[in-house]
Amino acid sequence: MKLQRVWFLFLKDLAIGPRSPLLLFVLAMPVLIALVLHLVFGGLAAPKPRLAIVDEGGSALASMLEALPGVNTTRLGSREALLKKVEANDYDAGLILPEGFDRELRAGRKPILQLHFSGESYAVSRLVLAVGAIDGIRAVEGKEPPVRVDILRVEQGDPVPLTTRFVPIIVFYAFIMAGLFVPASLLVEEKERRTLTAVLASPARIQEVLAAKGLLGLVLSFLLALASLVLNGVTVRDFPGLMVVLLVAGSFWAVLGNLIGIVARSSEMLFAIVKGAGAFLFAPIIFYLFPDWPQWIARLFPTWWAIDPLWQMVANDAVLADVLVPLGVVILMSLAMVPLLAFLGARMQKHLA
Amino acid sequence: MEPAIQVESIEYAYGDKKAVRGISFEVAPGEVLGFLGPNGAGKSTTIKMLTGQLVPAAGEIHILGLPVRGHSSEVHARMGVSFEEKNLYPQLSAVENLRFFARLFGVNKPNIDGLLEQVDLLARKKDRVSSYSKGMRQRLMIARALINDPAVLFLDEPTDGLDPVSAQAIRRIIRDRAKAGCAVLLTTHDMNEADKLSDRVAFINDGTIHAIDSPENLKLLHGTRSLAVRVRRDGKAEDLHLPLDGDGDIGARLKAAVERADILTMHTEEASLEDIFIAMTGRGL
Repeated sequence: MKLQRVWFLFLKDLAIGPRSPLLLFVLAMPVLIALVLHLVFGGLAAPKPRLAIVDEGGSALASMLEALPGVNTTRLGSREALLKKVEANDYDAGLILPEGFDRELRAGRKPILQLHFSGESYAVSRLVLAVGAIDGIRAVEGKEPPVRVDILRVEQGDPVPLTTRFVPIIVFYAFIMAGLFVPASLLVEEKERRTLTAVLASPARIQEVLAAKGLLGLVLSFLLALASLVLNGVTVRDFPGLMVVLLVAGSFWAVLGNLIGIVARSSEMLFAIVKGAGAFLFAPIIFYLFPDWPQWIARLFPTWWAIDPLWQMVANDAVLADVLVPLGVVILMSLAMVPLLAFLGARMQKHLA
Repeated sequence: MEPAIQVESIEYAYGDKKAVRGISFEVAPGEVLGFLGPNGAGKSTTIKMLTGQLVPAAGEIHILGLPVRGHSSEVHARMGVSFEEKNLYPQLSAVENLRFFARLFGVNKPNIDGLLEQVDLLARKKDRVSSYSKGMRQRLMIARALINDPAVLFLDEPTDGLDPVSAQAIRRIIRDRAKAGCAVLLTTHDMNEADKLSDRVAFINDGTIHAIDSPENLKLLHGTRSLAVRVRRDGKAEDLHLPLDGDGDIGARLKAAVERADILTMHTEEASLEDIFIAMTGRGL
């Protein structure tokens, strides 16, 4: 095998990729999924509530609201400017504190407070700003809240937010699409267009072709998985370890993608395989969404081992040393597929002719 | 001189069906061998064995002195192949296609513009191949086959889909390559093309070679010659064919045939390669 030829074959596939609508769709999907999840459930991309204040009488409430860590507060000079900017959704809400507001409040006269909301503001922003304002008013008034709320966790261990539970699905999708589907579909396309025959009539060997396709799957799945994690605001304790986990998992999917690409003789057959095997491939991921289900069942699926190290690092703050066992299983599975790949690759070459 | 292509008793079977049954032939450097046969004759299977796509069940193939088996990379590095299918990358331009294959062949400074000029594609070199016509793709296939300046050239239906002017240009390129010492093996259904281009032709049918010789020799040995005369007799045109081979004085026969008639045209006729192929194999092309 000549590495330089593998590189040239890789570059060619890389050049074809952006010109293929299917590949563009595959690469764009994880980003779109991340955006949809952010819109539905919120996330790091969701902005802090934005509050504008017009303080006409030096109210203590304005300073209190400015001090709130979860709110971006801005003082404006006039009511007109505030209403205009809230209407334009430059702010989620605008608060007008009239002169003597604090004095009236402390005297128990119930002064009028105008809190204007933008029609385009998020419900969660409205809630945060309203509660923040009420808490501030009580503090200015000098009263204690009528009840004390204790927040107690009913589940054992650290709870995992719903958005984090979706991370395996998004990253899994990135691996399946970029790591498995891209090399498989490129290989099938080369067979259908008979370009593979032309390549194999040059000094290039089938092993080099498969290595190039695998490399493309690895690089794309690594980058796409990383991008998915970043877009979903995932942080980990062991970033270099995460890189290792992504590379090992990406290699596994790339080898599997090559295998499927070799077996599939046409695009129709490839889609049938991916659809047919979809439930089997995706099954372990469902268990992350439903932690009440018996988790040992997920381990019966080979793909669980390729995603669990990532889950452990993302959800449970694990480091590389904690996930060496499942990582070792993934490496063994990948290595076990290589001789099969060589055998089927040689057989495919015979069928090409 | 060592043959560029040396084939000894090769055999190949698809399951129980024998596609090639002990074929042997040689092609010298600078020689053009036309491979003629109907579909299913074993022509493509033979080419696939020669280009390393199939491994013969028996026999030996040597290209430029190297056995194809076990030396496929070295052999492929010195051969050019133009397939019948237009298997180019449609998403890439002509230049990108050629540059990619040049890299695979390890050609450091390929003369891409020169090749594209030869096949009259220079003006469209940056356009994607998906926008090319069938003829343009065929010309690009020829350019691709020449990217590594091969010593052996395999051309499957090289002028298929080309207009007469383009076909003429391709034939000129093939002749020039052969003159430069390149051994050319071409398959074609076009007997005229085989006749014009080939130094020798091989008739293949049912997996065996029925004859291999120069077109002239095949015609002389296996064909018949005749004199074609068109006359006008009693105001009507009439065609006469007088065999030149065999007994009898042709002069006397001609004189008798054209008696009381005006000769309109007169020329000699020889058997076509197709006639000879049909006569030898009992099958048409």
